[in-house]
Amino acid sequence: MNIILSGVGGNGVVLTTRIIAEAAVMEGINVRVGEVHGLAMRGGTVVSHLRLGHDAKGVLIPQRMGDMMLSFEPLEAIRQLKLLKRGAKVIINNDPYIGVDAHLGLSRYPDICRVLEQIQETQDLVDVPATHLAVEAGGVVMTNVVMLGTLSASRELPIRREVLLEAIKSRVPPHTIDKNIVAFELGEKAFQEWESSRACQVKQ
Amino acid sequence: MAKKNRILGGAGEKVLLTGNEAIARGCLEAGVVVATAYPGTPATTILEKLGDVATELGFHAEFSVNEAVAFEVSAGAAMSGVRSLMATKMLGVNLIADPLTVISVTGVRGGLVIITADDPQQFSSQNAEDTRFFGMLAKVPVLEPVDGQEAKDMTRYAFELSEELELPVFLRITPRICHSSFPIELGEIHPPKRNGKFLRDPKRFVMISTFSRPRQKILNEKIAKAGIIADTNPWNRTFNFQNGRAVDDNKAYNTFGIIASGMTFPYVEEVLEVTKVNARVLKLATTYPLPQNLVTEFLREMDQVLIVEENDGVTELLTRALAQRKRLNVRIMGKDEGLIPMSGELNPDLVGDALEKLFGVQFREELTEPYIKAEKELVSQRVPALCSGCPHRASYYSIKEALRRKGMGGSIMGDRGCYNQGAYAPLEGIDSCICMGASIAMASGISHSGTNEPVLSVIGDGTFFHSGIPSLLNAVHNRSNIVSLIFDNSITAMTGHQVNPGTGVNLMGVHTGNANLKKIVEACGVERVQVINAFDTKRLIDAVMEEIDQPGPSVIISRSPCALVVERNVRQRKLKMYRAEVDLDKCIGCKVCMKKIGCPAFGWGDDPKPHLEILPHCNGCGLCVEMCPFGAISVPEKREGALGISVKPREVRE
Repeated sequence: MNIILSGVGGNGVVLTTRIIAEAAVMEGINVRVGEVHGLAMRGGTVVSHLRLGHDAKGVLIPQRMGDMMLSFEPLEAIRQLKLLKRGAKVIINNDPYIGVDAHLGLSRYPDICRVLEQIQETQDLVDVPATHLAVEAGGVVMTNVVMLGTLSASRELPIRREVLLEAIKSRVPPHTIDKNIVAFELGEKAFQEWESSRACQVKQ
Repeated sequence: MAKKNRILGGAGEKVLLTGNEAIARGCLEAGVVVATAYPGTPATTILEKLGDVATELGFHAEFSVNEAVAFEVSAGAAMSGVRSLMATKMLGVNLIADPLTVISVTGVRGGLVIITADDPQQFSSQNAEDTRFFGMLAKVPVLEPVDGQEAKDMTRYAFELSEELELPVFLRITPRICHSSFPIELGEIHPPKRNGKFLRDPKRFVMISTFSRPRQKILNEKIAKAGIIADTNPWNRTFNFQNGRAVDDNKAYNTFGIIASGMTFPYVEEVLEVTKVNARVLKLATTYPLPQNLVTEFLREMDQVLIVEENDGVTELLTRALAQRKRLNVRIMGKDEGLIPMSGELNPDLVGDALEKLFGVQFREELTEPYIKAEKELVSQRVPALCSGCPHRASYYSIKEALRRKGMGGSIMGDRGCYNQGAYAPLEGIDSCICMGASIAMASGISHSGTNEPVLSVIGDGTFFHSGIPSLLNAVHNRSNIVSLIFDNSITAMTGHQVNPGTGVNLMGVHTGNANLKKIVEACGVERVQVINAFDTKRLIDAVMEEIDQPGPSVIISRSPCALVVERNVRQRKLKMYRAEVDLDKCIGCKVCMKKIGCPAFGWGDDPKPHLEILPHCNGCGLCVEMCPFGAISVPEKREGALGISVKPREVRE
């Protein structure tokens, strides 16, 4: 299974990838994680390639071979879109990071609705207000845990909920564990709401 | 938090480690006694991880002042009979070339392993050179692992090989190995044998020409022996891929062959599995010297062979030479024929493209219309920037402002460090970035060229210690008319804050006193030295203007700690983090602040009218306050006169 995690520096892409990978190892699943550090400073593009299963060998996911994406930022989702299979699920935190470069016209930040529509054209888009939910749970820093909750609820991962939670607990400061569980549950709930709203649309 | 160090797991355990962590573990399994590096490379974490456990396990780990020093420290230890490591990247290998090409002649007694992280994609490097040429130049063997497990196991083996040959050994990796994670099966940790003793042997270690000349023969014999040992290296393996499956046998029923090394091997595997092209594959772990018999036997059965390698076509070159010497009738293909790209890192799709050109099979999934459209219409590259609160932003602003006020033009020679991010708009603070330590000397050259314009240089504290000092001495000695700025944040910040002589603490956590930058500059003979808080832009602008008018070299040390270090201190000490605020009545949305300093904590709001918005990661350095012509920005509650990010204890936040 090929999972792409994308976002900007400061989103916690690397840590989130590590949590899923560690949970996979706990489940006895073979793992490869491809990352690039270096100048992944705050606000810069960050992407991880996470490959699970006995056939995972190389660390890079070939073009259009991704089974799903977890994206912390809309522009970063569209940047990695070409790695995804058609119809692959994209869980996205709908909170753009528009850098000062875009405000200065040095780069351009695309229209957010266009981004989401474009993703929807080929992918199964689950769009989650993860930053807001994290604030609700007690802090922006837990945005990635909200996203992990959504990912877990989507049942796409071959990893059990308890195991993923275990991996989260081992990676966050001990005194924040309760808040992180709340964040995780809010993420799960967000997925269930998305699923039921989709069910309504299908009925109509 | 006393978390269990992941590189200290028990033998037989399987843990998720990055390639760098795996190599650090390999060093522990080899019982390394001395480990060195200069930070700022993809391989830096190897030394950080070793530094974490060095005291506990009883070995020495250091961040050295530069790569040549690091290598010489390690080589000295290895000459004394203990196992020693040096970690760097290809540009660091340039610096060690001088000692390396002689230490290969003297040879070593304890194992000496050099980890080099070549950066074919140039994630953070000025060029994409290939260390294997240095292997050939110095006659030092080069090993290449294909994943984290091999990286660990080969590290251990590299020490054994180095001792068997009495030669340094390169382990060549790429950032994809360094930072990727793999489940790694751990071996036994061997306690370091710290029993070094340098045994005098002038004919071996005093490389005056009369003693060196006879040793060339010994070196040639050693590298020839390395080729013979390579023939039986267990990581050199051949496979047959039949109908998409690897068959581990020695029958040669394919006449199409692939030779792959390093990270390219798993790409080849994946492409053959999918395309079902039948091929015989040689996974090459010893890229220099080539295992001659193994490669000859491999080539003998083939009609055509594709060489898949990153950086330059070194294996291709050596394989062609071997085929010619053995008079083998085989077509050798790779970069020369344009099948494998000449530059950039490889990936499965690029390997697939090569097979498509050869056999018409398709690996790469086509990008259909919606994907092409998304890419074309919506994707835009973000422009990197210095962090919010970075003192370098204040320094660059001041330098540029001083030059603007002078109105004489001028050039600013840059150096290597995170202050390179100041090259981007809107700061555009440097006009060159060549290599470590180049700034001051290149500025000197310009000043002697007859120019009428002011010549400035910018160098960080770490880089100044690394290789700026000789250039400054030279500038004094030869009377260059330059203004050298030293951006002093007292740490090597670029790869996550590694210590340097100005930090006061070394990698082992021992307080060794801060090197005094100002005294060093004065001791070089510079008569005009000023130390100014980087955020005191008024003083800094004045100082730059003043020094431009002075003949001869002058130095301005622009000092303030790294914003990320301060932020961490503020968090850990539970102090208040100040933030800038915008007065909506005063902000007219002119973007002057953005155009002047382009801080990444600047956002934009439209309600009720277009205005500057301060993003949550602002840390209240206050630089923007003085940028606004309308006085719309302030950092409330901040102590009067505080410049930069305050770490003075205030009330605990929430």
